[in-house]
Amino acid sequence: MDHASEKLSSSDAILARVQDIFRTELDDDALVVDLGTRQKDLSAWDSLAHIRLVSGLESEFDIQFSLTEIEQINSVKQFVDAIKQRG
Amino acid sequence: MSAPSAKLSLSELPWLPRPPGNLRGLLAALPADPLQALSALQSLAQAGWGEAELRSIGRKLRGIAKSAPANFHSDARQQGLLPVRLLILSASTVSHLADALIATAMRFRVLLDVVVAEYEEPEPWLDRNRGALQQNPPDFVLVASDSRMLKLASPLDDAAAAEQMIDAALARISRIADVATAATARPIILQTLADDPDATRFNMDLGLPGTARFLTTEFNRRLARQARQGSRLVLDVNALANLVGLSAWSAGRYWYAAKYPFATVMIPLYADNIMRILASQMGRSRRVLVLDLDNTMWGGIVGDDGIEGLVLGSGSPLGEAHAALQRMALALKQRGIILCVSSKNDEAIALDAFRNHPEMVLKEDDIVAFRVNWEDKAANIKAIADAIDLGLDCFVFLDDNPAERKRVRDALPSVAVPELPEDPSDWLMVVQAAGYFEQAAFSNEDRLRAGFYKANALRAAQMERIGNHDDYLRSLGMRLSIAPFDGAGRKRITQLISKSNQFNLTTRRYSETEIAALQSDPDAITVQARLEDIFGDNGMISTVICRRTEQRWDVDSWIMSCRVLGRRVEEAILQHLVAEARGMGISEIIGRFIPTARNELVRDHYSRLGFVQTAADSGETVWRLAIEGYCDKDLPMTVDLRRVEEPA
Repeated sequence: MDHASEKLSSSDAILARVQDIFRTELDDDALVVDLGTRQKDLSAWDSLAHIRLVSGLESEFDIQFSLTEIEQINSVKQFVDAIKQRG
Repeated sequence: MSAPSAKLSLSELPWLPRPPGNLRGLLAALPADPLQALSALQSLAQAGWGEAELRSIGRKLRGIAKSAPANFHSDARQQGLLPVRLLILSASTVSHLADALIATAMRFRVLLDVVVAEYEEPEPWLDRNRGALQQNPPDFVLVASDSRMLKLASPLDDAAAAEQMIDAALARISRIADVATAATARPIILQTLADDPDATRFNMDLGLPGTARFLTTEFNRRLARQARQGSRLVLDVNALANLVGLSAWSAGRYWYAAKYPFATVMIPLYADNIMRILASQMGRSRRVLVLDLDNTMWGGIVGDDGIEGLVLGSGSPLGEAHAALQRMALALKQRGIILCVSSKNDEAIALDAFRNHPEMVLKEDDIVAFRVNWEDKAANIKAIADAIDLGLDCFVFLDDNPAERKRVRDALPSVAVPELPEDPSDWLMVVQAAGYFEQAAFSNEDRLRAGFYKANALRAAQMERIGNHDDYLRSLGMRLSIAPFDGAGRKRITQLISKSNQFNLTTRRYSETEIAALQSDPDAITVQARLEDIFGDNGMISTVICRRTEQRWDVDSWIMSCRVLGRRVEEAILQHLVAEARGMGISEIIGRFIPTARNELVRDHYSRLGFVQTAADSGETVWRLAIEGYCDKDLPMTVDLRRVEEPA
């Protein structure tokens, strides 16, 4: 359950956890996302799924996104960047 | 001294054991067989997971149910899981609650299916779906109204306008409930309103008509009263918001972003409360509290410290905390909860403390069963369950010692064993918030219940003295009084039908509305029976519903309280049914046994009563009694018939 905190800062480690959340929240155990994945690439990533992703990522990383971020984020990279900023 | 515990957060359901590990890994290791996976998920669901994890568990459960074989539901039933469908009506977003609810339901041994109507006023949705609802009605309907849907607002300091506003809002909820009842005839759950987090709030507002605080408070008060009168159920969302604090409860950003009615971290608590209400309607509320003594009921170890060394009551903060725990137990007793003691102690010393410690709130007489010895506590709890004839799944066990808690949890998984914080001053908050004993109605029977079980102990002593069972029964001077269903008995009839699991031939549940409808149904034959004897009134202990088709009666439902097992009441009731049937020219009575995980007790009910088996299908059996062939029996009780006057 514990991820060593010094490894958190690396994009890869964050991306792996973000992918886990995407798999859970979009209900697809085989889903692979990378920094190039955008909302429009995934049909399951609709507006309701978006809020679930926000909620899932917030509890996974123990952070809180701002309203502006919630509204504007539309790619995996933006999520990862927003998480990294809080690192 | 042990380290101070972390700050308590009730939204994390601190009474549950903490999660056993990383959920993703645990889910990946689930067995492939659907029933085995279900068992594994059920044991996973016992822990206090967060909202996201609950959703994952729920989603997994949904997946299993969707791809499972056709007999999955009946197999799950055999495992003790009850399939239940809940319809949620909301003008906000609620679909994100569904999976968390499904996971939470497993903790209550319910296989839940959730149907959601959201973002829409409930009225048009109900209109549009009326046909589908009638064809395939849900088991419960939750009207998840919130302050944003009802938009309570009226001019400041105008009492009449405020009253009108609340009248209109209540009328609207009533209308929705009525439409839902007409479409489904199932129990309806209404919600109180949490205060609007965005409203202006001055300290005086509770007394100023037209303020948000005034309107919400008045609305809630009247909604709850109206619900009690109209036999609707209430989910007190406002109490939940108060429990955790309005600022923590309210959704704020989630409302703006997605119209979530409250914060996502509160979902586990909300789901737990919905399930408590459903469980209480299905006979799955807890009814027995077993208390440990040393360092639980009082501070210190009575065997070592002596009565005078116990920390209890005024004079010490810790003593006050233990006394408060005893007061909680006493208050639960007044709600009909049965109190018992299981403790590793010398019985004489422990009883001496009950009799002679001046600060004891609980008296010996408040405790229905004592098991004070040096044996294993799990074995003792099992012995108590056998002695008072209640299933272990009605039990809650309170003990300060984590090792004892774990031992009982492992040995008796159906007993609820709350985790307790280190500090006894935090215990009540946690145990009360756990809501194990939720009841949706309060009947006279509840007030008297502890007395019933006490009287049973006296009867057992009489039986021991007399030795012969038949002589013993005759010595009881039993009087059975039988009547058709009526308005006065309706609350208790509904309670018996919703709570009885063991002596229950078909386990068909009926709401109060449906019970009322039976009263005027010309083809329904109903029986309610009360039993009195020299040791006291047992209250209403049995109900039977038969349905007539030409010359035949089908027993739809036959229920008896296990308090009066072995008293030949069922034979007296059959004798009454046969006499009535004869009078109406009926030729046969058909009985049916539908097995569940809990009604093994009545598998041979009809055979014992002289019925002949006519069919059997996957555990379900059908039985026939020819009226002609029945001979009256000499039973050890007198029977009074009370007839309801025909309305003019």
